[in-house]
Amino acid sequence: MAALTLSPRGRSRAAGASSGMPAFRFGVVTRSVILVVAALYFVVPLVASGRYALEGAHGTYTLSAVTALFHDSALWSSLQLSAEIALGAGLLTLVLLTPTSVWVNLRMPKLRRLMESLTLLPLVVPVVVVVLGIYGAFPTTVVGSPVLLVFEYVVLAMPYSYRAIDSGVQALELHTLVDASRTLGASWPSTFRRVLVPNLRTSLVAAAFITIAYSLGEFAMASLLSFTTFPVQLYQIGTDQIDEATAVSVFALLVTWGLLLGLSLLGGRRRAVRGSGAPGPAGRPPVDGVGADLVAEVESVLGHGDPGVPGISHLRGGGT
Amino acid sequence: MRDVGLVQTTVRAETATRGRGSSAGSEERAGVRVELVECERRYGVVAALDRFSLTIEPGELVALLGPSGCGKTTALRALAGLEQIDSGSVRIRDVDVTALPPHRRELGMVFQAYSLFPNMTAIDNVGFGLRLRKADAKSRRQRAGDLLDLVGLSAQSRRFPHELSGGQQQRVALARALAVAPRVLLLDEPLSALDAKVRAQLRDEIRRIQLEVGITTLFVTHDQEEALSMADRVGVMASGRLQQIGAPDEVYERPVNAFVAEFVGSVSRVPATVGRDGTVDVLGRRVPLPSPQSAFAPGATVDVLLRPEAFAVRADPCGLGVVTRRSFRGPVLHVAVAVPGQVEVVATMSATAGADIGVGTAVSVEPTGAPLFVTEPRAGVA
Repeated sequence: MAALTLSPRGRSRAAGASSGMPAFRFGVVTRSVILVVAALYFVVPLVASGRYALEGAHGTYTLSAVTALFHDSALWSSLQLSAEIALGAGLLTLVLLTPTSVWVNLRMPKLRRLMESLTLLPLVVPVVVVVLGIYGAFPTTVVGSPVLLVFEYVVLAMPYSYRAIDSGVQALELHTLVDASRTLGASWPSTFRRVLVPNLRTSLVAAAFITIAYSLGEFAMASLLSFTTFPVQLYQIGTDQIDEATAVSVFALLVTWGLLLGLSLLGGRRRAVRGSGAPGPAGRPPVDGVGADLVAEVESVLGHGDPGVPGISHLRGGGT
Repeated sequence: MRDVGLVQTTVRAETATRGRGSSAGSEERAGVRVELVECERRYGVVAALDRFSLTIEPGELVALLGPSGCGKTTALRALAGLEQIDSGSVRIRDVDVTALPPHRRELGMVFQAYSLFPNMTAIDNVGFGLRLRKADAKSRRQRAGDLLDLVGLSAQSRRFPHELSGGQQQRVALARALAVAPRVLLLDEPLSALDAKVRAQLRDEIRRIQLEVGITTLFVTHDQEEALSMADRVGVMASGRLQQIGAPDEVYERPVNAFVAEFVGSVSRVPATVGRDGTVDVLGRRVPLPSPQSAFAPGATVDVLLRPEAFAVRADPCGLGVVTRRSFRGPVLHVAVAVPGQVEVVATMSATAGADIGVGTAVSVEPTGAPLFVTEPRAGVA
């Protein structure tokens, strides 16, 4: 019913329908203008950075900054460190938050509001305060190791990752699916692995991606705790070799885009499977792929504010 | 009556899929006895199950009928192990399973809400339980295909749940529940989300399949027509207790209390006075008291409950009743008649007999036999 009223022509995107926004129909001109303006906003700085990275002396162009980049071993080891931390944080996020969200929605729905405000706390508490807290709370062996950042990033990305997972869990017929699976002979772990995880895949990928993206770009915490992660290394390069740093930034940006594209393709495939969704039980609108549109989900979650990713802006500020 | 071949297929497939590791004997799975003994379940002060006992004989289909909140779903979920009970016990084939988690009770369940796994096709849904039991892919496909055939959906086996209609989804859910050759089939209002026509169709089909497989079945519903038409025995519940259980005609014709009389079928409640010699005066006519209920003293004011078919209604210019509603239902006609004393009785008659009766017609109303039930007058009603 809801889907029908919201998308009389069946064109409304799943994300639009799920957020309860009516499907406004813009004219072609208006749409094109918005697209061009938005594209300029992203493309102009990127092109400028690219040009700056390739610019040599007296208006010539050279690849020296790019080649230097590939020979900078310190940069590569920092990238490896960041990648390891990011993967660890992504995994830990899934392992911790998925069962939590499922449990809260299944057994303690009254705690949902509490969980929502709890997971927002990392946005409210300043990073410096968190760092000070870490020194008091963690044993020195952990404080001295980059593993510390894994824990940190799980917490700091939680406002976004928890929402991504929780919206997916709420879109499921959780009680019925769990009961069905249990009566068919599945134990709890089996139910989790065979029924819940496959049906939450899009949300889980989104949550992992958000955490990974956050971890790859986070600067303040790593810098304060003196770990040379990718953004920290980028900053150090930027202080003396600005052209190389800009080349790295563009490179990092392209990698991130590639990641997003891959994930959105994954999300698209998922949508084909979920399709218009099963009609819900009486009184509930069809699930209609809530959480299926991965990019929209990632964008909407990240759109609340850009917490990290200081690399490029930092370098800009330092270089020009 | 029962398709022995199918029962054997069931048992064979079950032996093949369970093979080792099965605790229960498996030579004859279809039709086991199920008992809920003195089960008690409370939510705060509300008793969902109040010393609830029920025995279902092997191969029998028992329907639990009652208004929402009467505890019927709690009883079913307690049997499934999805709901803990505070005290009492659940026994399947004389084995106490109270402490067993749902996945070890070997049951099949169909839910009110659509419960198919959205990420799996129809055939994968049906094969899910077999996969958990480590059946090899070939026998799994074979068995799942057979079950889809049984519910008439072999052509849709590759479809995902969202590509199936509500009725089809519930059929697949039934096939999925039966695929693992469960000891007991539990149906939790499986038809209530469907439209009337599909509901009637599926109702007959579930009963046909249940008889074919010969599986002990507990069916929970608030729809009396469903319960009466499908079940071997109907149990009527209120406030966590079983009010009456018996064959559909027994519950309909010989209710043990006013609640059952009013909940099952429709009745009119009419004030009356108990006369001498086991009779009662209803609407100016003396009729016998129902035999087990001669305990009321002569002269006592009571309410009698009468079925719509227990009235004779005739157009009569001198009659004291006035028809307030008339609804034509094909062969029969339902009329509501206002009679003195602010009482409304609902009667049915053949459409031909009621041809001259319309809204506003003056009619005479007489009971034609013993009332269904006699009870204390309702408080506050004259």
